[in-house]
Amino acid sequence: MGRTLPSITQAFLHEQQSLARFRRALRREDQRALDDLLASSKNHLAAAAYASHLLPFEVMLLAMLVEEHKQVIGLRQQIDQLRAALEELGASAER
Amino acid sequence: MATLHGWFFDAYPAGKGMRIWLIDQQGRPHALSDGFIPAFYARGPQEELRALCKMLRARRAPVELRRTERRDLFLDQDVEVLEVGVRVPGLLPDLFRQAANAYPHLTYYDADIPLPQRYVLTREIFPLAWCAVEHEAGRIRNIEALDTPWDVEYRLPPLRVMTLRLDGELQDPNRGHRHDLLVEVEGRQYCFKRRHSRQLLLGMRHLLERFDPDLLVSAFGDSYILPRMLELSRHYGIPLPLNRDPQQAVAHKKAHSYVSYGRVMFRNAQHTLFGRWHVDRQNAFLASDYGMDGSLEIARITGLPLQTTARVSTGTGISAMQVATAQRRGILVPWQKRQPETLKSGVDLLVADKGGLVYAPIAGLHEHVAELDFTAMYPSIMVRFNISPETVGADCCPGKLVPELGTRVCTHRYGLVPETLAPLLEKRNRYKTLIRQLPDEDPRKETYKRRHSAHKWLLVTCFGYLGYKNARFGRIEAHEAVTAYGREVLLRAKEMVEARGFRVLHLYVDGLWIYKPGADQQPDYEALLQQIRDHTGLQIGLEGIYRWVAFLPSRVDPRSPVANRYFGAYEDGSLKVRGIEARRHDTSPFIKETQLEMLAILAEGRDASGFRASVPEAIHYARQQLLALRAGRVPARQLVMRQRLARHPHEFTVRTVAARVARELVHAGVTLTPGEKLRFLLVPGPEKARAWELLKGEVPYDREAYTELLLRAVESVLAPVGVDRTMLATWLLGNAGYWGPPGTLPPPGMDGGQPLLAGCRMHRTRWPQPCTERDDLLLRSLYDESPASLDQLPPLAPALLPAPSPLPIQDHASVRP
Repeated sequence: MGRTLPSITQAFLHEQQSLARFRRALRREDQRALDDLLASSKNHLAAAAYASHLLPFEVMLLAMLVEEHKQVIGLRQQIDQLRAALEELGASAER
Repeated sequence: MATLHGWFFDAYPAGKGMRIWLIDQQGRPHALSDGFIPAFYARGPQEELRALCKMLRARRAPVELRRTERRDLFLDQDVEVLEVGVRVPGLLPDLFRQAANAYPHLTYYDADIPLPQRYVLTREIFPLAWCAVEHEAGRIRNIEALDTPWDVEYRLPPLRVMTLRLDGELQDPNRGHRHDLLVEVEGRQYCFKRRHSRQLLLGMRHLLERFDPDLLVSAFGDSYILPRMLELSRHYGIPLPLNRDPQQAVAHKKAHSYVSYGRVMFRNAQHTLFGRWHVDRQNAFLASDYGMDGSLEIARITGLPLQTTARVSTGTGISAMQVATAQRRGILVPWQKRQPETLKSGVDLLVADKGGLVYAPIAGLHEHVAELDFTAMYPSIMVRFNISPETVGADCCPGKLVPELGTRVCTHRYGLVPETLAPLLEKRNRYKTLIRQLPDEDPRKETYKRRHSAHKWLLVTCFGYLGYKNARFGRIEAHEAVTAYGREVLLRAKEMVEARGFRVLHLYVDGLWIYKPGADQQPDYEALLQQIRDHTGLQIGLEGIYRWVAFLPSRVDPRSPVANRYFGAYEDGSLKVRGIEARRHDTSPFIKETQLEMLAILAEGRDASGFRASVPEAIHYARQQLLALRAGRVPARQLVMRQRLARHPHEFTVRTVAARVARELVHAGVTLTPGEKLRFLLVPGPEKARAWELLKGEVPYDREAYTELLLRAVESVLAPVGVDRTMLATWLLGNAGYWGPPGTLPPPGMDGGQPLLAGCRMHRTRWPQPCTERDDLLLRSLYDESPASLDQLPPLAPALLPAPSPLPIQDHASVRP
């Protein structure tokens, strides 16, 4: 409504559409991964709008990285917990 | 000379002045006249002004012409203007139109302020003011208000009310509903048969003469009852004294459609009276929200006549208040706005052209979440940072710079918009305090609530009017400055919240939803709120702490949470619901009721696990509702859906439900205008939907379609705990469950959508992610953080230098009649 520039959501949709051919040529499993990444970057639209970056796609990539890194930290934590549990199990088995 | 005490009731141009109606303490109306010479102003080249004078004199217009100086808001200086005083007030609009047609290049001021408003402004009174009037031979010598619009407690005149409606169910008579006329006055009811129209007319005339009501309250009076009675009166040649003033004819405005915020809206025809008021409940703006109390309050503070405030949006009220401020200050009110947007580069636009900060919330079910809300954030920003069309971007003084944008805001003069809003904010706060202090059984409490709500709506619209292209005192840069301050303030609040170890679940323009383990009592938030108040200078309060709150994902993409689809139960058990079916206008009452009742059952749960434990009971209730629906036992009235007609009936290209209903109505001879509401019932068979007004008797409804709608509504409520359509169908239609009786949720870590794999623990990737992330490393580090110092944040210094003048508050006791 009365906007000269597209809103961040419109910019996001535009970037998503511009990836349509890239997405089409991917394998189904890769398409799903791509969709997940795009959805995760959508969670940070507010921050992207506030950033007022000239190239919104760069901010989108960064937003995907943020979400990926959160996953890495979470998984690392789970591995640590599992490893500790395993070690305890091994120790008790030795005993 | 005699003195009369009474409430100022009505004013309009008549003869060579204004006709004034007052109502005294005994409820008797008094009509007086008052000489009044309103003026409009013109500015431009000398020759053109001279030519305008010549033209007016040649036409023997009753005008007084003189050269004078007045202040222009945007030029911030006095300018030389031609004053055209009109001795017959009623002729002003006409004379101005002649002038503007002949000399369109002149700049005109004060040209289109409604005369009743001009009159009260000039006399320093306001609608419903308690006045002392000195008069002689029917003419007012002096009129003076003895109370002020800013009083929170005031007495209103004892109004005699007559209600008019058609017998039977409340339905639009323009869609074919016809019935006898019911008139109620002074506790008595009269029924006039539709077929005996002459008797109806004579009876109405008799009632109007006998009871002489001050106020006619009708249902569909604007679009049907009044025009129909006037038609009959012409047909039979029997005059009908709808007006108190026999000299005047009933004023009529045609219906029209317009576009607002991307939606087509419909404004019905209007019939307004002189010396008497007519309010149509079905054609009133937000009548259900603030009602008559709110409309009277708005009339008092905006200076607009009640018949206007009861019909127009609050935006008109704000606009009128700005005009009043300008007139009080002696500033000219431009006829047409001449403040185009200043030139901006693409990058400037990228930074400026943004709205409020809106997060995608963390989807799922959360417990013990606190909601903090800034009180009237945008109006408060305008007042505190002196944001007004003439102060933003002015280069008269060094001023203050707007965050993000770097636009200059003048600090040496108090802006017109802040000056208008400051007393409004204060009065709203006074009502808020009163509401909090009064016990529930006090009858005044409801009145104050409605007045408070009227204030809320006035304040809500004031922001939109800053950026509205047709607003007299609008300017897009001011609008942008407000949102920029809004973002800054909200981000500062977020930083302070996080520095104290809270997690931000959601941000929404002026509200924050935050969580910290263990912080579930009001005192846990006092220090935080005080810190935010100190740093931002704006009022922020704890809206409430939730037992549980659920943020929902979008229907289109379940991975993406959306900002305004959530529901939650506060500690006191009350619900807050946004964006789901129960809040949508097109949801039928039955579905709405089912959803709200389910939420009420779930609200018994004190936290997230309480929510889960209440699911079986909620499912049991939903199943009862579904069974009634599928057995055809729900009354059709409970299933009526509403939709706004978005285009002309002949413009539909797809046969949507709305298109079918519109077609049916058109075939029945009803004229439809875009923006009108359609009411319909989904029915089995090829026609799919039928217009509600054309249905006779109990009609079978489309059970499958309504089952589908009900299931959707139930799913919205239970989606946060992982319930999906298959699970719901098993529970509701099959009365069975995989993990126990219907409503029993799968054990933690198990995928409810894949019951056959219930034995294996699997990693969930589908939404909703279980909200047991309390052990997450990232979050733990957040909650464990010791309160960090925020000293490095520079305080947001208010731009405002001169303090607003205190409100003119009078001692109530001294003005009491």
